[in-house]
Amino acid sequence: MIRSVLVANRGEIAIRIFRACDELGIATVAVYSDADAGAPHVLAAGHAVRIGPAPPAESYLSAGRILEAARSTGADAIHPGYGFLAENADFAAACESAGITFIGPPSAAIAAMGSKISARRLMERAGVPVVPGETPADQSDASLEAAARRAGFPLLIKASAGGGGKGMRIVRGDDELAAAIPGARHEAKGAFGDGTLYVERLVRRPRHVEVQVFADAHGGAVHLFERDCSVQRRHQKVIEESPSPAVTPALRARMGEASVAAATAVGYRNAGTVEFLLEGVGDDARFFFLEMNTRLQVEHPVTEAVTGADLVQAQIRVAAGLRLPWAQTDLRQRGHAIECRVYAEDPAAGYLPQAGRILLYRQPERPGVRVDAGVVEGSDVSVHYDPMMAKVIAHAETRDAAIERMLAALSDFRILGLPTNIGFLLAVVDSRAFRAGDVDTAYLDEGRGALAAPSIPAAALAAAVVHADACRAAAQSAPAEAFPDPWASLAGWRG
Amino acid sequence: MADSRRFIVRQGDAATAVVVRTDGRISVGDESEAFTVLPIAAGDYLVTQGAHAWRVAVAGPPDARWVSARGTTVCVDVQPEGQSGAPRRVAATGGLSAPMPGTVIEIAVAPGQRVQAGDVLLKLEAMKMELPIRAPRDGVVSAVHCAPGQLVQPGPPLVELA
Repeated sequence: MIRSVLVANRGEIAIRIFRACDELGIATVAVYSDADAGAPHVLAAGHAVRIGPAPPAESYLSAGRILEAARSTGADAIHPGYGFLAENADFAAACESAGITFIGPPSAAIAAMGSKISARRLMERAGVPVVPGETPADQSDASLEAAARRAGFPLLIKASAGGGGKGMRIVRGDDELAAAIPGARHEAKGAFGDGTLYVERLVRRPRHVEVQVFADAHGGAVHLFERDCSVQRRHQKVIEESPSPAVTPALRARMGEASVAAATAVGYRNAGTVEFLLEGVGDDARFFFLEMNTRLQVEHPVTEAVTGADLVQAQIRVAAGLRLPWAQTDLRQRGHAIECRVYAEDPAAGYLPQAGRILLYRQPERPGVRVDAGVVEGSDVSVHYDPMMAKVIAHAETRDAAIERMLAALSDFRILGLPTNIGFLLAVVDSRAFRAGDVDTAYLDEGRGALAAPSIPAAALAAAVVHADACRAAAQSAPAEAFPDPWASLAGWRG
Repeated sequence: MADSRRFIVRQGDAATAVVVRTDGRISVGDESEAFTVLPIAAGDYLVTQGAHAWRVAVAGPPDARWVSARGTTVCVDVQPEGQSGAPRRVAATGGLSAPMPGTVIEIAVAPGQRVQAGDVLLKLEAMKMELPIRAPRDGVVSAVHCAPGQLVQPGPPLVELA
């Protein structure tokens, strides 16, 4: 069994993993950059090692320094969390050759899924549906037109060499094809110096539905149902839930089977997520393989809530060579769970990330609500890292009850000192489209979830004024402040 | 006789008069009924108006005072009436400099190019996010002071418009 786990990460996910280790009686090691000295994740571990300055390339992304920290503290396993080195096949391989257990899949599985082209080929071979499309070897108009008809309409014609929408054309039918091909080729050549085109079926109003899979080294492989992550802005997930409002039992069974087949095809072990685009609703909906995330997901608590499983503890057991703690028939989805990601950002300014000090922090506490946070009052949100501060997970017997529980929890969540997306999350969860379960991945970016500017109750303005008064009066009358002004302890910040 | 004290609370362009009366009750704007504010803990207040009650959290200095109630959080500027407000620290979002440290990932304009207000001049990446820097007004690009891949700091202009 593993005796000591080093977490090569920071923030809420590091704390989440330390909690699992504590419950398994495993020693813990945190690593931190200069920006994170004294951060909550450092205090949550038994040991802590400084690994470098604030920029991730010199700290949390430095495989050498992290392996050295593991050696110096005697850690026999490393959990990468998500982001940073979590999907770096070379890092997993370096752990393997250093005799340190990497709590995740084998490096070969990370590499196989890391390349979109090889992943797609593997999935096609395993019988997992992929979005129909190809880059024809013969790039003549006639050949591209034939490829387009094979993929089916509506479709996308795009530059094989790059992204960013350049050289991309939406073609709704045969009649638009003849004009679209030369236009896309010209644009692709201009933008990337390469006019090679790729044609792909356009998935209409796709939902993002992913399936949690888990496999062990003894041939055991299960899925832990789906998560719907359709509420996204700029391809970043904002709200996730399980079950998906769009998935029926028959569809769930098909997606689960396909996901286990996908994991088995790459010799997968440990926790992974197979992401799909879902077109349509109900038993007839079609799903297409998007990619596989070879790591623990940010949104794993949603699955933990509905299954009752502890995914991180299971990760550690499986990494230690033990069998999966569940057979497929042991697993049930019970009730409904929703997760909201709380970011330091200004949704009104194009989700501009915000940095600064948290002057006041009160997190919700109520039945059925879990908060995984990486910050506390007084924490500095740094420009160097992801601006996610916390995740709120509400679990209830029904989706409607989970929505009400989430609204209550978000209303209780108070973070002062920098703009957050809490008001935005409230508006989205309370929106008619979300309540109806009718949100696709373009919902936020197309502005269909337009938000009203927040209006603060007059009562809050009254308190804002009294706070000033109280602080001033306290400062004048008594040195022992009746109402300590948090500002007073923040000398040097204002300039 | 202690007189009532009057404050102006600004939230963006909106200004509201708030009066702390001699009896300690608070009048806000044209609200007909006054409020009572009870401190519960540091930065935590119970505000009541008749049968209504709000829990309100407050933190920060008068010119950048954060207030949160029922899931809505704003930053306001509190000044005694008659004093001109100190300049607010407002995040620059339409300027020509970086709003935060970041890496230049794309420059969309070249010197001599005519741009319209709102056009994307360049894109930065910071905290895993792509941040477009847009032209604050119509003009002609007279200089570009950064290159793709460069780490830039807030302050100095990245692009100049003539």
